[in-house]
Amino acid sequence: MAGGMDLGTGGKGGKKALDATINLVPFIDLMAVTISFLIMTAVWTQIGRLQVSSAGGDSDPNQDKDDKLPQITLLLAEKEIKISVGSAQLGDAIPNTRDEKGQLQLAKVQELLKKIREQIPDQTALTVQTEDDVRYEDLVRVIDEAIGDGLTAVSVSPVAS
Amino acid sequence: MAIQVPGKRYGARLARSHFFSGHHSSAKKSTSADLLITPLVDMFVIIVLFLIANFSATGEILNMTKDVQLPSASHIKELELAPVVMISATDVIMNGVAVARVSDLSREDYLSIPALEERLREEKKQTEELHIAAADGQAFTGDVNIQGHKEIPFKVLKRVMFSCQNAGYGNLNFAVLDSGSRPDGTKTAER
Repeated sequence: MAGGMDLGTGGKGGKKALDATINLVPFIDLMAVTISFLIMTAVWTQIGRLQVSSAGGDSDPNQDKDDKLPQITLLLAEKEIKISVGSAQLGDAIPNTRDEKGQLQLAKVQELLKKIREQIPDQTALTVQTEDDVRYEDLVRVIDEAIGDGLTAVSVSPVAS
Repeated sequence: MAIQVPGKRYGARLARSHFFSGHHSSAKKSTSADLLITPLVDMFVIIVLFLIANFSATGEILNMTKDVQLPSASHIKELELAPVVMISATDVIMNGVAVARVSDLSREDYLSIPALEERLREEKKQTEELHIAAADGQAFTGDVNIQGHKEIPFKVLKRVMFSCQNAGYGNLNFAVLDSGSRPDGTKTAER
């Protein structure tokens, strides 16, 4: 026995070599073709989507259920962020700060949203009211943060003038 | 005089030389070199596994251009096939055709973009007709992918959103790059 395999030493035929030579050429050919195919069809940029709805749209199936819960609104301005639950504003306005890459820092917003989620765990809807001058990148950062905190039904609306 | 093999003949002094006498090198050096197959096969296997791990079955839904730099996000879902509205720094493009200029959209006050709405309505009509012809029982979902440049102001975006909403596309999907990890360093996978 070698390596747990029966070498087949018994029988009439005497000692017949059990070593088989694997032909590597077709194997390498297959590998080369597979690599070529995968490289040609590869998508190098990983793109995803953030699902939102326009405020007032009829696409949200949870809207009726959420009507009984206090509505969470986040006002996104160029300089600051305000969060309100129902008609009451939660805390002071949070001034927008950015890191060295220019990305909006949302630690305080995240903290507030977590507190709200603890108080109203059933509410998963958030309305982001956005001012005209806000950059798309900042809006996406806020939506991403909200979804990460469990507010999955995000709707976006302009600030009512 | 003995018969000699044809070829170079050196003089008596050089014939005694170690170098010219031909004893310095092995005359019959093998011309074939062994190719090490094992590391080659190992490398191929690793490349194949890496490429399969990164393989995307959905293919390229969005046409990426230099003019449109997508913002990045971590809590994303997989992109689905839907009409794409691209907003670059200069133009709003629907299925490869420019329907509005960003500079005009920033100047005007009303919300609707008529050319975009018209194209979206046509798209919706075609989709609905295809579903009816195929009799697959699938309803129109109203999904639209918005591929926006990260620097565009909300003033432009809201007009595109409003036009999509008016044309019956209420499910807006913002196309983003997968940042892979959250700002606090934790990895997320919400697909």
